[in-house]
Amino acid sequence: MLEVQSLSKTFGIGASAYHALRAVDVTIAEGEFFTLLGPSGCGKTTLLRLIAGFEQPTAGRLVLDERDIAAIPPNRRPVNTVFQNYALFPHLSVAQNVGFGLEAQRRPATEVKARVAEMLDLVQMGHLRDRRSSELSGGQQQRVALARALAPKPRILLLDEPLSALDLKLRKDMQTELKRLQQETGLTFIFVTHDQDEALTMSDRIAVMEGGRLQQVATPRTLYDDPANRFVAGFIGDTNFLQGEARGGSVTLAGLPPAPLAGANARSGPVTVLVRPEHVVIGHSVPQALQVEGRVERLVFSGTDTHVHLRLGQGETLVARTQNSLHSGTALEQGAAVNAFLPLEALRLLPDEAAHG
Amino acid sequence: MAETSTPETRVWRDELRRRWALASPAMIVITLFSILPLMVMVVYSFLAPGLYGNVIWEFSLRGWAGVFTERDLFDDTLGIAWAHVTILGRSVALALATTALTLVFGLPTAWFIATRHPSTRAFWLFLITIPFWTNLLVRTIAIQEVIRADGTINRILLSMGVIDAPFAMMFTNGAVLLGMSYVFLPLMVLPVYAAIEKFDFRLAEAAYDLHASRLYCLRRVILPLMKPGIVAGSILVFIPALGAYVTPRLMGGGRAMMWGNLIDLQFGQGRNWPLGAALSVVLTLVVAGALVWYVRATAAKGGRDG
Ligand SMILES: Nc1ncnc2c1ncn2[C@@H]1O[C@H](COP(=O)(O)OP(=O)(O)OP(=O)(O)O)[C@@H](O)[C@H]1O
Ligand SMILES: [Mg+2]
Repeated sequence: MLEVQSLSKTFGIGASAYHALRAVDVTIAEGEFFTLLGPSGCGKTTLLRLIAGFEQPTAGRLVLDERDIAAIPPNRRPVNTVFQNYALFPHLSVAQNVGFGLEAQRRPATEVKARVAEMLDLVQMGHLRDRRSSELSGGQQQRVALARALAPKPRILLLDEPLSALDLKLRKDMQTELKRLQQETGLTFIFVTHDQDEALTMSDRIAVMEGGRLQQVATPRTLYDDPANRFVAGFIGDTNFLQGEARGGSVTLAGLPPAPLAGANARSGPVTVLVRPEHVVIGHSVPQALQVEGRVERLVFSGTDTHVHLRLGQGETLVARTQNSLHSGTALEQGAAVNAFLPLEALRLLPDEAAHG
Repeated sequence: MAETSTPETRVWRDELRRRWALASPAMIVITLFSILPLMVMVVYSFLAPGLYGNVIWEFSLRGWAGVFTERDLFDDTLGIAWAHVTILGRSVALALATTALTLVFGLPTAWFIATRHPSTRAFWLFLITIPFWTNLLVRTIAIQEVIRADGTINRILLSMGVIDAPFAMMFTNGAVLLGMSYVFLPLMVLPVYAAIEKFDFRLAEAAYDLHASRLYCLRRVILPLMKPGIVAGSILVFIPALGAYVTPRLMGGGRAMMWGNLIDLQFGQGRNWPLGAALSVVLTLVVAGALVWYVRATAAKGGRDG
């Protein structure tokens, strides 16, 4: 179990100081696939480097198995890293790269040999064991980097955007493989990505980061269904933001009857309501829903779905996603007036932003 | 010869022809300025010495005999030329020591420069190359000035009372070593600098992450990847150091003579060109040996410890 306790990191001093991490608090459980997700420059790598020991925290503590690891140098931390650019040793063979961590610990040669063979099998690179690491394709380098980091049996494996350099197809394959590996080894993975799909499909829990802060730490499902704030809602998936007014336990969206929404009791004044495009129903009525009128402004075909951009009476836009199944009824046309239904259970009231910084 | 007409071999033949055509200017230069003079030396070493220098065009092994043997001044018996052996030994030893010393000082210097901010690196490199603008003679005399009996070091030590008689540094092997190391240091720093500058420090970080101690990382990752630079620097220092004669002459005088001075002597005062030529060929062979080692060392595919 790794506890990150109000961890802060500031680069530089005085006027040029840059707060890369601001009081990050999170506990990562044993055997968890934990993902750090956020836009470029939000501090993902910085947090990883603090855990690996390459940077010293400005404030806060890192506690691994009830032990403060801040003073332990990287080469003695039971943590290994798969680097963003792999950082394989170009002068060594695949097998030598994988065995490096064990040889550095002066493990007996027989043990090194056995473990290297085991790791190469795990990542299906046994046939290339004598190849120079500089003569490998991107995907192969990725596997070797993974085997190399796993070989010394770390307590936690850190992966810094390990898939970002791969093309889409290979990336999908490696996602599955990484997940399989994590489940087989039961190891704690801390995985960094700025790709939300990757994060949603692979993780047990995701920490969404922005500006050096953790915005929300939750399971993919919760993150998607109950985003903690506007940033998370906008960053994960597509969302419609609708402006409304909370009063007396219900929320009134412009031009619509008041609707009782979860969490509305505690609020009064202007609020933001969000609804995911796939929950918006067009064409047929559904019970327990708000009905809005709109005009089809644009239709965007995206394979399995069609994104319908509606212009509502009040000038707001609403995006709906309809599935392109064979029995989806009459096709929508641009300029057509339609009724859209917003099921009450799909409407989420965004928490008060003012309460956060 | 039937197979010569297959498309692949034809393409290959054209390719070969094109390569030769491209390489020909280099070939001409190498032949004219390297191989030809070397052939002249080899040929001269098998001729007889003329009375006033020069050579007499008749086959003779006297030059080569002179390399390894000498006639006793008194009873005219033939003995091994121990003086030559000593000088060759000293030359090789001093050249190796110079290489080692320039490496010891050059590596940290190159490291220092390579780890500066990119905008200031040019300045440091510029400082390193300043000695190149100065004549070798001037540089050697400058260092002589420092270690002379009444030179800077002795005067400082005397005035501080550390010693009470000047410390004799001139005309020793140590003086030659110091002078040569000073003169050849930039030749070591530049290639090593180039290697360090190319080095990806994330690799050192990766090694550190993989439980390597600093020393282990240096031995298994940093040095192997810098080896080409270190080997190139060593060769660049070793070869001219082995054949050096200006610096040994000024710093070592007649006592700490080197192979280069010996050759100089035969072509000059000794007026024994065949012997001088034979001595030169010996030097060339030693250098060739060093180059073979260089090729082996750099071509070797990442061995156990690089
Ligand atoms: N050594 C450093 N000195 C000064 N600033 C730094 C240093 N390292 C990182 N930063 C700054 O800290 C911020 C966070 O950087 P970090 O590398 O953690 O971002 P990231 O989330 O990993 O981004 P990316 O997705 O682009 O890799 C950046 O604005 C960066 O400029
Ligand atoms: Mg990063």
